[in-house]
Amino acid sequence: MAPLSGSDADYFRDKARRDLLTLLEGARGKKNLVISQELAGPVGLFVKFSVLQEYGVDRVFLLENANIDSSQRNVVFLVRGEKARHVRIVAEQIKRLQNNGNVEHEFSIFFAPRRTLMSNSVLEEAGIIGDVNIAELPLYFMPLEQDILSLELDESFEDLYLHKDPGCIFHSAKALMGVQQRHGYFPRIVGKGDNARRLADLLLRMRKELDAEDSSGLTDPSARGLLPSASVENLIIIDRDVDFGTPLLTQLTYEGLIDEYVGIKNNQADVDTSIVGPAPTPQSESSKAPQQVKQGLKRKIQLDSSDQLFSQLRDANFAIVGDILNKVARRLENEYESRHTAKTTGELREFVNRLPTYQLEHQSLRTHTNLAEEIMRLTRSETFRKTLEVQQNNAAGADSTYQHETIEELIARDVPLKTVLRLLCLESCMSGGLRPRDLESFKRQVLQAYGHQHLLTFWALEKMELLQPRSSATTMLLPTSGAQAGSKTNYGYLRKNLRLVIEEVSEKDPNDISYVYSGFAPLSVRLVQCVLQKSYMVSLIKGGTPAASNTPNTTSPGWLGFEDVVKSARGATFSIVQKGDDKAVRARQTLSGNSATKTVYVFFLGGITFTEIAALRFIAAQEAPRRKIIICTTSIISGDRMMEAAIEKGSFVKAE
Amino acid sequence: MPPNPLANWEKVGDSFYRKIAVYDAIFEDDIELENYIVVGAPYGGAIALYRDESKTFRLRDGQGSRSTIDIYSCSGRKINRINWEQATIRGLGWSDKEELLVVSEDGTVRRYFGLDGEFTSFSLGNGAEEYGVRACQFWSSGLVALLSNNQLIAVSKYDEPRPRLLAPCPEGEVSSWALIPPAHTLSRSVEVLLAVDKTVFLIDSTEAEDKILQDGPFKHISVSPTGRFVALFTAEGRLWVVSNDFQNKFSEYDSKSRVPPNTVNWCGEDAVILGWEDEIHLVGPNGVASKYYYDGRVHVIPEFDGVRLITNDTCEFVHKVAAVTEEIFRLGSSSPASVLLDSVEQLEKKSPKADENIQRIRSSLPSAVDTCIKAAGHEFDAYWQKRLLKAASFGKSVLELYNSDEFVEMTEKLRVLKASRDYKIGLPLSYEQYLRLTPEGLIERLISRHEYLLAIRISEYLQIPADKIYVHWASQKVKVSTVDDEAVCKLIVQRLDGKPGISFEVIAQAAYDEGRSHLATQLLNHEPRAGKQVPLLLNMEEDELALDKAIESGDDDLVNYVLLHLKSKLPLASFFRMINTRPMASALVETAARGDDIELLKDLFYQDDRPIDGANVLLSEALRDTDLTRRTEKLQLASRLLSDSKEPTVVLNQKLVSEASQLLKAQDALDKDLADHSEFLGLSVNETVYRLIRGGYGKRAHKIQNEFKMPEKTFWWLRLRALVAKRDWGELEEIAKLKKSPIGWEPFYNEILGAGNTKLASGFVPKCSHLPPAERIEMWVKCGMIVKAGEEAQKTKDLNTLELLRTKASGPAATEIERMINQQRQRK
Repeated sequence: MAPLSGSDADYFRDKARRDLLTLLEGARGKKNLVISQELAGPVGLFVKFSVLQEYGVDRVFLLENANIDSSQRNVVFLVRGEKARHVRIVAEQIKRLQNNGNVEHEFSIFFAPRRTLMSNSVLEEAGIIGDVNIAELPLYFMPLEQDILSLELDESFEDLYLHKDPGCIFHSAKALMGVQQRHGYFPRIVGKGDNARRLADLLLRMRKELDAEDSSGLTDPSARGLLPSASVENLIIIDRDVDFGTPLLTQLTYEGLIDEYVGIKNNQADVDTSIVGPAPTPQSESSKAPQQVKQGLKRKIQLDSSDQLFSQLRDANFAIVGDILNKVARRLENEYESRHTAKTTGELREFVNRLPTYQLEHQSLRTHTNLAEEIMRLTRSETFRKTLEVQQNNAAGADSTYQHETIEELIARDVPLKTVLRLLCLESCMSGGLRPRDLESFKRQVLQAYGHQHLLTFWALEKMELLQPRSSATTMLLPTSGAQAGSKTNYGYLRKNLRLVIEEVSEKDPNDISYVYSGFAPLSVRLVQCVLQKSYMVSLIKGGTPAASNTPNTTSPGWLGFEDVVKSARGATFSIVQKGDDKAVRARQTLSGNSATKTVYVFFLGGITFTEIAALRFIAAQEAPRRKIIICTTSIISGDRMMEAAIEKGSFVKAE
Repeated sequence: MPPNPLANWEKVGDSFYRKIAVYDAIFEDDIELENYIVVGAPYGGAIALYRDESKTFRLRDGQGSRSTIDIYSCSGRKINRINWEQATIRGLGWSDKEELLVVSEDGTVRRYFGLDGEFTSFSLGNGAEEYGVRACQFWSSGLVALLSNNQLIAVSKYDEPRPRLLAPCPEGEVSSWALIPPAHTLSRSVEVLLAVDKTVFLIDSTEAEDKILQDGPFKHISVSPTGRFVALFTAEGRLWVVSNDFQNKFSEYDSKSRVPPNTVNWCGEDAVILGWEDEIHLVGPNGVASKYYYDGRVHVIPEFDGVRLITNDTCEFVHKVAAVTEEIFRLGSSSPASVLLDSVEQLEKKSPKADENIQRIRSSLPSAVDTCIKAAGHEFDAYWQKRLLKAASFGKSVLELYNSDEFVEMTEKLRVLKASRDYKIGLPLSYEQYLRLTPEGLIERLISRHEYLLAIRISEYLQIPADKIYVHWASQKVKVSTVDDEAVCKLIVQRLDGKPGISFEVIAQAAYDEGRSHLATQLLNHEPRAGKQVPLLLNMEEDELALDKAIESGDDDLVNYVLLHLKSKLPLASFFRMINTRPMASALVETAARGDDIELLKDLFYQDDRPIDGANVLLSEALRDTDLTRRTEKLQLASRLLSDSKEPTVVLNQKLVSEASQLLKAQDALDKDLADHSEFLGLSVNETVYRLIRGGYGKRAHKIQNEFKMPEKTFWWLRLRALVAKRDWGELEEIAKLKKSPIGWEPFYNEILGAGNTKLASGFVPKCSHLPPAERIEMWVKCGMIVKAGEEAQKTKDLNTLELLRTKASGPAATEIERMINQQRQRK
């Protein structure tokens, strides 16, 4: 196979852009674009509004606003084909336009990532399938960064663990097939968790089907009969439910905290202008994507590697963010002052040339200083302190009943429900459930404090196995969760055997991933280390000082060496070798040699937190240049988002 | 004796045209071609014959009055006969994929594919039924129908036909019309030229543009293959060739015939063919023409690079002689390629002139070789193909460096062409046509003629996937074989063993269509793609198997599809039973039902005996309902649903649901007593208590606390927060007089301080007796009471702190602290 140019991120970005623009071109002339909320953000990741305009898009509407008008004859809808609800809304809007307009509309629907039988039947029912042009936009992985590919399925967590709807596993499998078709098969698929196993099985099945579909091995061997990739080492799949505990903790990296308190969506955060000040004069570049721009209240801040300062800050523990900001401020000051020392006109010109960079950096510095200050204010509050204390005690394995009083106080003080539920779920996850008596009492208190509609919330949490009574007697009742032994992650055992808690970690100069939670290493990432950094893990577990991490890793593949430990985490454990034609593999090995950097794909099924990303990047930095880690996920998640999936939104208060 | 390559050349203006007899003895004499409408598929495809109903004809034995469409190959081999019992045919045409399209007067379109007589049909709609179709025109992938009210309906694809009206066109007599395929229009959708009265209109989907001509009516309009030119035939018998915008006239030809020709077609891009009953005029640029005469009726079938002429006796192909061919064979040609060809002859004669020739053209030898290879492609005769290739071979043997790829490819192509041109196959492809049709397209045509052996040979020879051939063969086998199912299945599986990409699903479908469902099931087991099996299994009513296969495929959409199908088909009870044992299925049913079918959800939970789930559905309904009575009813219903079980979780839920309705009742009462609008209804217990206290209804708050067994601590917190919010300092002072607080006194201090009342806050500092002195000092300081802080420090004899405090103090406080410090020092 010819060496591939460009990173996966660039490739998927370009492909998505090309696909969309080609489709738009297909709908001739000027058109209005109606896009569903959940796709609007992701589309902004790979194409700018100005480009859409070049392709004839006149105005962009959000599907949910239902305000599409007849200003253009051509109307293009862009929605996910898997969501019957959205397709129904599309059908309604098309019918509305057909009925009330005096314009003879031309409708197109682009289904991402595929046209489904479901959507066909919905359109058929509505009686409009004959009136619309239907096309597919194969939108799978969207790059958030060079090392992060996300499917941006906002509802994947809810679908997977609450509704047990495996749609996003299929979606993930399709997406990973896309990676395989680019690079060749993953030589090995390592994974943990039942859904991960299902994903791996789907990948194997799809490969078999692809082989069957490849009509002949005779022609064009480069396109047919894929081989195991020479440039990829592993695919590691981690099922979120293996480690529900980690995301429930409050994230302590800078980016993690922004996500906790402001929320980051598609690399953007809506920050109150009272914190960061109003938007600077709009540059042409900042006109990102079809977004509603609310003037005055919120300002969109782009949070990605295009902001150099942010790249420096994002993965650092919040404790040292202040230091970094100070340092940068001082450096900028010095550089700026250098204009006085500039003597020759050449020096002066150089300074002037660099002026825009300074201004940009200055702007970014101001933004982040303000943001950091705001977060600092929040982290100093008493409730934050108490919450964090409960969390850290739970993470460290202290007797959780001592925390109950604090939690009760937080309930009485009316802290956000999410915060309370996170603490309860955290305890349940970390210690295998709450005592039934405690659970009952908390249920009563929460219901009394936040409303009885949360009876549904608790039920959802139980279904997701986030919050459960400890004895298994009652779990027998849940038909969807046969709670057998080993079906829960045993944090107690793993805490010790994978050294999840490291007291003496330095936040400033970290030597272990536990810095991200100030002393707690995410289990999910420890599992990845069990595959990638075996010697480090061995020395870490044996105690003593962790060996320098750059000792050559033994090449024992898969879970080898950690099978027993890993068994204590929930769900299936597997390591599958994908074999190809031996001769071809050997031939290619001799051709390409083994010296090149190998890529490892780490797929978090059900979502990943920014903090875990930071931990994975920490590993990636240690493994470079031998390995490159690409993080894939269904979506970015946080404890709050997990809770939101369960929390009942309705209430008994009459809507005014 | 080899045929003279120049024998059938005809000079028309500056260029040569060539008429090649491809096949002879096409139709038997009893087929009177003049009574038939004859249309041929592009790329030497099949020919459809349909008796022209406007003409009288002789009834022959056994034919009866039933009308038929007969499909022949170009060599006159009958492929199929289609009985036609529908309305009068108004349009007959072919698509690029050799699908026969038949449009009847009432606007029904039938699309026959695979030449086997299988068809799909759709209706043009848009008033076609009312007004009737008058005529149709076809292009490679679509058609336009002209109704008798001059409306035009376009269909641009047949897979998902969407008949669309074009812009309305003006009244008047349509004397002729033509379409411009989408590929050659600016709008990228089909456009139509309509000759009405004296002028021509260009009609697209939005408007009809009058080209403002005065010389009509035009009896014929024809658009050139690339869409750049338009040929118009006037009532005076003149042929005009104009540019497609009607701005420039390129040539004019006077046919001297008062009878307009039957057909006007383009022959390539430079010439127009006028066809009368038995006379053909080939009109080149500048109005130069060449004429051919026939004994009987001649039919013209246009191709993009020429025309085919069909008579009873012959099938001929007329096209412009390719530049390379002309370069070599033109009389007196001395081009290098021509010399090269000559050298082969010399070589065979062992004449030294061969070498002389080569030396003479040495410098341009590579291009001469290229030319010979290309010319071989355009040659129909095997003798000259061989001669030209030999010349090329000789030429390249002299060259030191020459890339032989083209040579090899050409030999391959010529072999394939020779095989397909054979009269038994009857596909008279020209080289250019073969390039456009592609080898895959050729194989498809062979498949539909059941020429499996040749198809497989060609696919192996050209290394093209052969799966479709095998699948078609097997499907055919299933249809015609009479042996028992096991034997057929065994035969097919054996024969297809190890062949990649075989879709057993298609074969199984064929078996099922033949009514052999047992065989279908057997065949389906060999299909590796689970998803592919599902639709057929559903058709075969193998519901459970279909569901299992769908689940196996992991495709949620497919599972949903099957479920939707089953739900509408099965009685509810058996539907539930079926999904009961399949977690993925029940999860998907639940999810879907939550969106659009709550009642189904209730039934499901009832049937599955899941009281909590069932009650929760009612609870959500209660939440959505705004009417209090209905809400309470729902809650009571939910509570009743839960009351049957003794399971602790269920019992707890039951209690909590009842509590919810109890709360609503209590709040309703509060609203009636205290507020003129609903202020309390729907709030949580805590919020209710909080609001009551803030509103000054302490007693009622207590009552609620007791009624709902609110923990004392919670109540205290609520009271504290409510009173602070109310700024009810008096009440707080009263509380401060109490001895004990279940939440301690620190919260009081914090909250009150947070509200800015330092004085009152300070009152709570001494009550926080359990706190370490250091914290209490801090508390005093925060209230701005340095002296008090100092006293605290003095109690613990903390000199350092005192000194620290001194820095913060000012005025009298400073002196006071100073005094304490001194006191401390003295004690030491």
